[in-house]
Amino acid sequence: MTTLSEPMRATARPARRSRASVLTRRVSTVLLGGLVLFAVVGPLLLADPAAQTLDRYLEAPSLAEPLGRDEYGRSVLSRLAHATRLSLVLATLCVATALVVGTAAGILAAWRGTWVDTILRSVSEVFVAMPALLVVLLVAATADGGVWALYVGIALAQWVEYFRVVRARAAVVLASPAVEAARLLDLGWRHVVRRHLWPDLRPLLTTLASLGMVTSILAMSTLGFVKVGLEPPRAELGLMVTESFPYYDVAPWLSLAPVTVLFLLTVCFLGLRRTETA
Amino acid sequence: MSEIALTIDRARVRHHGNLLVDVADVDVAPGRPLTIIGESGSGKSLLAHAAMGTVPADLEVTGALRLGARSFDLSDLRGRRSLWGRELALLPQEPAAALDPTMRVRSQVAEGVPGFRWRDRGAGARADAALGRLGLSGAGRAFPHQLSGGMAQRVAFAATTIGGARVLIVDEPTKGLDPVALDQLADLLLEHCADGGALLTITHDLRLARRLGGDVLVMREATIVERGAVADVLGAPTHDYTRRLVAAEPSRWQLPWMRASTPEPAGPPLVTATGLAKAYGDQPLFEDLSLTIRAGERWAVSGPSGVGKTTLGNVLVGLVRPDRGLVDHAPALRDGRIQKLYQDPASSFPPRVSLGTALADVLGRHHVPPERLRSLLAAVGLTEDLLERRPGQVSGGELQRLAIIRAMLPGPALVVADEATSRLDLVTQETTTDCLMTGLADRDCALLWVTHDRDLADAVADQLLDLGLRGAAPRPPAPRRRSSCPAGAG
Repeated sequence: MTTLSEPMRATARPARRSRASVLTRRVSTVLLGGLVLFAVVGPLLLADPAAQTLDRYLEAPSLAEPLGRDEYGRSVLSRLAHATRLSLVLATLCVATALVVGTAAGILAAWRGTWVDTILRSVSEVFVAMPALLVVLLVAATADGGVWALYVGIALAQWVEYFRVVRARAAVVLASPAVEAARLLDLGWRHVVRRHLWPDLRPLLTTLASLGMVTSILAMSTLGFVKVGLEPPRAELGLMVTESFPYYDVAPWLSLAPVTVLFLLTVCFLGLRRTETA
Repeated sequence: MSEIALTIDRARVRHHGNLLVDVADVDVAPGRPLTIIGESGSGKSLLAHAAMGTVPADLEVTGALRLGARSFDLSDLRGRRSLWGRELALLPQEPAAALDPTMRVRSQVAEGVPGFRWRDRGAGARADAALGRLGLSGAGRAFPHQLSGGMAQRVAFAATTIGGARVLIVDEPTKGLDPVALDQLADLLLEHCADGGALLTITHDLRLARRLGGDVLVMREATIVERGAVADVLGAPTHDYTRRLVAAEPSRWQLPWMRASTPEPAGPPLVTATGLAKAYGDQPLFEDLSLTIRAGERWAVSGPSGVGKTTLGNVLVGLVRPDRGLVDHAPALRDGRIQKLYQDPASSFPPRVSLGTALADVLGRHHVPPERLRSLLAAVGLTEDLLERRPGQVSGGELQRLAIIRAMLPGPALVVADEATSRLDLVTQETTTDCLMTGLADRDCALLWVTHDRDLADAVADQLLDLGLRGAAPRPPAPRRRSSCPAGAG
């Protein structure tokens, strides 16, 4: 009677858990939507983030300027909008690149095996052995601190994770009787990718990607925080935190604002993950 | 030892108002085996689990269970836990899956000793003794994946009975067991009975029911339709369903595609294998084996499990490379004209897309009009709404028929069936086999059936290759006449 009882057991218990996870996802989506809207619309409507008004130095929040002004009299709200946009755009680019490269390499390694697998695995092991931030630092150092260096560095540090997960999972799927049957039916590699690999990898990849967004955003701000990332006049979340430290006792909103955005972005992306369906 | 009888009174199991089990009374006397037979979905396993108290929580169970003088309410799932292993034990389905893959066999068996404590020497010694009695004295340090199906079954038996339970419930023990392992298991169960233990066996395998003797209950659609001594019920069935069940044994099949005599080899050769040899590690599976499969021929590869039947099938298909020898495929086998059916059909479909999507890809690749799929579905008695489901949501028999349809779509010249019906119950096995053989006969397609069931091999094939007969050097498979009037049960 296993055929009868197993599906019942499978549907009965996770129902509560899945309802909770649906709620979490909905809240995360709404919050993230708000942040994206802020990042897209904010820079268009708000004042120039670099415009200095030195006589309004460390002005407290008001109705006209909800987050006050920083040590150069710049609008914190406007700087925050620009910084959020930069973080989101750059993180999306990094994750997309790492995902495409890592997944393609992973499938290739699992499919071809032999020397292709050996080479790709050795390359990936080099990246695993190096701390991710060190990779970013190395690239940033060779290409003197531009946005591109940051993009290439973070993408390089992240593709390995996709590669290793996809390679391990794809090897299992490709060795399954279902794929063997597809080969005997002469259905071609497109069918194997679309019907076997992609449906199986998709939940893994969405989870990895939402975690990857968090890692990228945090990596960027960490580099900004230790002042090896982007250069000061640019509005960047990590830079904003460092720059505001000396004024923490007089103007706490300066550091709290970027920290709150970082916190919300992290929580929202973590909340977006699906619980994997077996 | 005391002799305890097991009685189940008015057992009913419901799920959302559907009655899944409705059995008035079952009496298992010590020393006389009772076997419940019936098709899958008839509720027979659920009855066993209701007796144990292991049904899923969303099922509603009513009734009573008596063990000797004590009485238990079937709806109270917890009350019987203290009996498990000591007085009441269940030998689970698919023992290979029930054993812990990370534990050595000996410690797994030792855990069942009453009052077991970690690193308990006495328990270990008793486990060794129990394994020794089952002829497994060398296997104590092995992990479950190193055991054959029959050995795993005996280890599970040792673990189940080491607690000293006098009442033993056995749930579908013969799935995937070859005749030798089945005999060994039946001996163990009979020994338990001879010692005065009570035995309730759930199975769809009539050979096991005959082998155990005693009484038999025939279950269908939640109720018992016939009961009596095994020889009476299976020898002269009175209920229509029992008659159908007995007639569904491969040795009694009378189906239109069956051939009375082996036709002369006339067709062009499809697969020519010469001097094949394959070994796993240092254990040779077959050596210097040659055969030619011609168009329209029906072959069966038989032998006990672990003898290399599946490997030989895969070598002939071209999925596995032989250590030595050549396999030559005729041009007629290119472009998907060689197809394979799997023991577990669910694993042969992409698990996360609907069956319709998977089949649509086959239609597109081989330029088959959708009407052909529709007519094939109708021919095997499947409805089209089945195609909206995923493989995991369809029963094994239906899915195997869909797999047969899928194999027929490219217009194959050779179909290899690897134990394709060994997980199905008898009636489903007959309909599924009929569906495949009719499809093959329509297009004069060759067949290679890999099976450990000799009766089935005799029924479907004209030529038999028995890998169990080792030692004989190059042995051309002898063409064999199949008697048109099959002898009695094997």
